[in-house]
Amino acid sequence: MKICVLIKQVPDAGSVLRIRDDESWVEEDKLVFTANESDSYALEEALLLKEAHGGEVIACTLGPERSRQVLKDALSKGADRAIFLHDESFNNLDCNGLAKVFAKVLEKEHCDLILCGLQADDTGEAAVGPMLAQELHLPHVTMVVQTELLDGGLKVKQELEGGWFRQVETSLPALLTIQSGINKPRYASLRGIMAMKKKELRELSATDLGVPATELAPMQTLQRIYVPVKTKETVYLEGAPEEVVAQLVDKLANEAKVL
Amino acid sequence: MSGQELHIPGLFYLCAAAALLSFVYQLRRAFVARIGQPEPRTLSLAEVLRNALVYGLAQKKVSSRQFGYASIMHLLLGWGFMELFFATTVDFLVERNLLVALLPEKDTPWFAALNEVGGLMLLGGVLMALFRRHSGMRPPILPHNAFAGRGNFLGDTGILLVLLFLAVGGFLAEAARLALEAPATANASFVAWPISLAFSYPTWVVWQPWLWWSHALLALAFIALLPQTKMFHALIAVANVALTDRSQQGQLRPMNITALMEDPDAAPDDLVLGAARAEDFTWKQLLDAQACTECARCTSVCPAHAVGSPLSPMKIILDIRNDLYARTLGDGDVRPLVDGVITATELWACTTCRACMEVCPVLIDHIPAIVDLRRNLVLSEGRPPEEAAPVLEKIAKQGNPWGFPREQRLKWAEDAGLELPLMADKGQTDILYWVGCAGAYDPRNQQVSRAMVAIMQAAGVDFAVLGPEENCTGDSARRLGDEYVYETVAHQNLKTMGQYRFNKIVTACPHCFHTLGTDYRQLGAEWEVVHHSQFINQLMETGKLTVSGNVTETVTYHDACYLGRHNGIYDAPREVITRALGPEANLVEADPCREQGVCCGAGGGNMWYELPTEERINLMRFDQLAATKASTVATACSFCLIMLDDACKVRDRENSIQVKDIAEIVAEGIG
Repeated sequence: MKICVLIKQVPDAGSVLRIRDDESWVEEDKLVFTANESDSYALEEALLLKEAHGGEVIACTLGPERSRQVLKDALSKGADRAIFLHDESFNNLDCNGLAKVFAKVLEKEHCDLILCGLQADDTGEAAVGPMLAQELHLPHVTMVVQTELLDGGLKVKQELEGGWFRQVETSLPALLTIQSGINKPRYASLRGIMAMKKKELRELSATDLGVPATELAPMQTLQRIYVPVKTKETVYLEGAPEEVVAQLVDKLANEAKVL
Repeated sequence: MSGQELHIPGLFYLCAAAALLSFVYQLRRAFVARIGQPEPRTLSLAEVLRNALVYGLAQKKVSSRQFGYASIMHLLLGWGFMELFFATTVDFLVERNLLVALLPEKDTPWFAALNEVGGLMLLGGVLMALFRRHSGMRPPILPHNAFAGRGNFLGDTGILLVLLFLAVGGFLAEAARLALEAPATANASFVAWPISLAFSYPTWVVWQPWLWWSHALLALAFIALLPQTKMFHALIAVANVALTDRSQQGQLRPMNITALMEDPDAAPDDLVLGAARAEDFTWKQLLDAQACTECARCTSVCPAHAVGSPLSPMKIILDIRNDLYARTLGDGDVRPLVDGVITATELWACTTCRACMEVCPVLIDHIPAIVDLRRNLVLSEGRPPEEAAPVLEKIAKQGNPWGFPREQRLKWAEDAGLELPLMADKGQTDILYWVGCAGAYDPRNQQVSRAMVAIMQAAGVDFAVLGPEENCTGDSARRLGDEYVYETVAHQNLKTMGQYRFNKIVTACPHCFHTLGTDYRQLGAEWEVVHHSQFINQLMETGKLTVSGNVTETVTYHDACYLGRHNGIYDAPREVITRALGPEANLVEADPCREQGVCCGAGGGNMWYELPTEERINLMRFDQLAATKASTVATACSFCLIMLDDACKVRDRENSIQVKDIAEIVAEGIG
């Protein structure tokens, strides 16, 4: 079984985010970066499937030079090889552009399974996975919390809203987006870190992939980054119980208009 | 020795030669530790002899008020045995007119009396041991009371019975000799002489050969089998204590992962990372394991064991020994050490508090052995405790185990309106104040950091902090077995501090203190590190800091393991408290305290994960401290403060007991 895991490098949850003066993005120079949380679960799921059924795990990321680290981490944990998509022209891709670039690589790899995290912790769009499946004409299941390999297919448990789940069966190849908590991501051993150095980490540019810049022109652009403005206020009603009740009824009827 | 041996010329020598041959052949056991890894020893011959004398012959660490009965029992056994061994050798030589000039004459009264004392000591010790082992006073953790067990030929009771028969038989054989030879000074043998008078001459004539031969053969059998029995410790434990470098005890083996990572030829699959088999330990660690006398003192003081964890330090050491004997002598089957005979839970339960090492009579280094096994789990298999894995990642990424932003390392000072001098601005200073992760990020310890600043400002100390440049020292990572993360942060710190000039490092955290001052020495650090208890004490002693203490409350002090047992600092924090509180204050001691003080439960990485136990270590310790009726529990450790403060809340004693760092107590009395 050949599995590819897409991993995005995002700011560590412990980072202090500062917005750039031009409100285009956050200041990155003091940030500590790490692998996106749900992507780590996707990697672990791929490694578990490989350990149970054999095959190969490929880790793939797209980003600036610093994001090479998430591939090294993945290789240290047990991925067999890695693909690093790195090009100036990739800097401002939207989800559509990202899906197109990943599709270019993955259509040559012929994977049985593509795993992504549910969504990126920084932009939170949860879109690249399904869009990539569309580009590759693959079936996909989002928010996966359990996988089970069947004969020629895959049975997965999908999380729905309101605490509901459903079982889905899909043929292979397929693309899944993995929900955090599906497994327990492993810790990289020193043995693994040393083995990582001898593993293949291939870097590909836009030219290597043969994607013309015109195809990658963004369909959406980021207008402005800002801290949410506080719009709600908590009001304490004071007085004797009768008075408080009267005030509450008044507010529910006239301000909230729910009565 | 006389009489019947002459009737069958040479038979005794034949038996003795056979016994000696067997003894020598079995002595190969003493050398199996050579399969271990190299470990440099820089001990001089004088130190080796001194160790052998102090910890071997004089049994310094056997004597302990904590284990009074067992101490007396063993001193009687040990010294009685040694005296008789000496006496027998002298007798043998005197009988054959050898070394006449050096030795007392035959039947010298004082020598005869001395030998009777030796016999009585052995007899008394053996009876005490038999009573202890077969009465209600037997400590439940003593491994076995039967005739065989754990590869010990004869077992514990068996060897005691042999010693009993030797002691009694010795008196009877001597009585028979006195009866037959009737030397003029016979009454100096104040035990054997009365026995000899109890029977008639003809009776002794009949019995003497039997008594002599049974005693001689039993003694020879004892020598022949000694290395296979528990008595082997009389040799191997003395060898072990002789070769122990007391100044290096408890230190973890340097691994030099950095060099390993840069070595292009290192084959990851062939590397030995930590220890998973006997031969992965150093020869000295293996000798430690061989020296274990199974006295169980270590386990009886282990705080993890006391709260119901499966950890028994003695079992770990014996498991290593069994693996050593299985692999070298073919004693028993070779089974995987970790996950085979030792579970990961046992290893993770150790708080590295050093209580085990403190009481070990034969100077075994339990902690480094346990950390070596942990290293294998983490570095080789990537299996730290589940809750600790993210902590290790946070140490590597954000430079602190909580994962708070690196750039907010000084928020505790900024929030209090303190503007602290930074090393990056000053370049040089007298005191580099090492705040530590807890001091920087944990709300309770932030108060201690502020108290430290108040103290240093009041005393006019020239100090500076590293601020965002400060990094976790890697203490937890190292004790958890992650030498890779430890070395990574350690080298970052060494590089940062190498840029600056300072006279001393001062820190309020004993873990930082130990790591910066002891662990970093292995990586080339040469700076002086002072704990805040020593530093504040000195400020007060030299009059640089005056505290208007007139407090009447009762205070008890909790010893931090990495301050007390690991670094021998017991008095400084106590002196700080008494100086700060003034003459009216009442400093009471908890039971136990000082060298026997009980861990708070956070050391060795245990701060970051919980294992299922019947009780929590911090609650057990808090109860001991609360039993002093003190209204303040003073600590001098970041982890102890967190653990005991938590315990105080859990026990719902916040209204009656305050847990405070000594710096806070001092700061309250300033100005």
